[in-house]
Amino acid sequence: MRAEDEIIRKRQRERARIMAWLLGGFVVLLFFITIAKTEINW
Amino acid sequence: MPAIEMSNPAALPADWRDILALTKPRVMSLVVFSGLCGMLAAPSLPPVALAFTAILCIALAAGACGALNQWYEVEVDAKMRRTAKRPLPSGRMQREVALQFGVGLGAFSVLLMGLATNWLAAVLLAVSILFYMLVYTVWLKPRTAQNIVIGGAAGAFPPLIGWVAATGHVEALPLLLFVIVFLWTPPHFWALSLFVRSDYAAAGIPMLPVVAGPQHTRKQIFLYSVLLAGAAVSPWPLGLTGPIYGASAAILSFVFLVLAARVLANRATEPQHMDAEKHLFAFSVFYLFALFTVLVADRFLPW
Repeated sequence: MRAEDEIIRKRQRERARIMAWLLGGFVVLLFFITIAKTEINW
Repeated sequence: MPAIEMSNPAALPADWRDILALTKPRVMSLVVFSGLCGMLAAPSLPPVALAFTAILCIALAAGACGALNQWYEVEVDAKMRRTAKRPLPSGRMQREVALQFGVGLGAFSVLLMGLATNWLAAVLLAVSILFYMLVYTVWLKPRTAQNIVIGGAAGAFPPLIGWVAATGHVEALPLLLFVIVFLWTPPHFWALSLFVRSDYAAAGIPMLPVVAGPQHTRKQIFLYSVLLAGAAVSPWPLGLTGPIYGASAAILSFVFLVLAARVLANRATEPQHMDAEKHLFAFSVFYLFALFTVLVADRFLPW
């Protein structure tokens, strides 16, 4: 594999991992927002 | 490990560190802090999850502004030493990536703010992004030496948004916080632009020291510092805050005025002789942090 391909794979892996964490965090955040919104009558 | 020569770095998938750099994290920290203080100074606080989401949205909107600003000003950034190493001017990222990232992040932050807190806060957040991009970056910055005066309003929104996210409405104190940040911006940026004048001149940006000269800029810095001191102390006599804030604001503003007077007295034209300007710039950052900290302390301390 060329050095450039290796860099592309590495960056794709890193970005996919970060995106997975961000999406996971967003799901957790939505859960807590829903709980908070149902507890108060805004 | 030896460095690898790449045929076209911008054609590769962008490094996440470069994407993060688009959001200008250091600028974001002051925005987040002032937004948080605006929220904490409000008479009622939302549940933790909603408060966290509101601050997150303010941070994301600030990040969107940073990305869109860098997308629009790539040629200008390439001409200035301070900004030439950013991801876009250095060719590490495609310009479209910054545009898509900025627009996506901005739209997401407004939508999330509206769904989690209230739509008035979301509208203010949207207005702050559009004001920063269209009024400041596109319209004023390349055209007038007063760019930073009116453009400063964009940075003055976060405490107001923080307050509105917590309460759902606008009152006198958050409007005064808006005015304080608005009046703080010109002395802060003009002090910086005095000692990086050659950079702005090279990029063709009509900052006040470039257009009107250092002495006129120093007079303007002092004038805005006087107005800032008045605005910063005013919440106390108006009965909107207590004596802790009033006394602290008076002391901090007095120091600010002393440093601004030293800038006014300085006649230097070379950056290496502009210690007074550098001191004012450094203190101005501390000033805003300290002022907002005592505002929150005043709200929560029992006397």
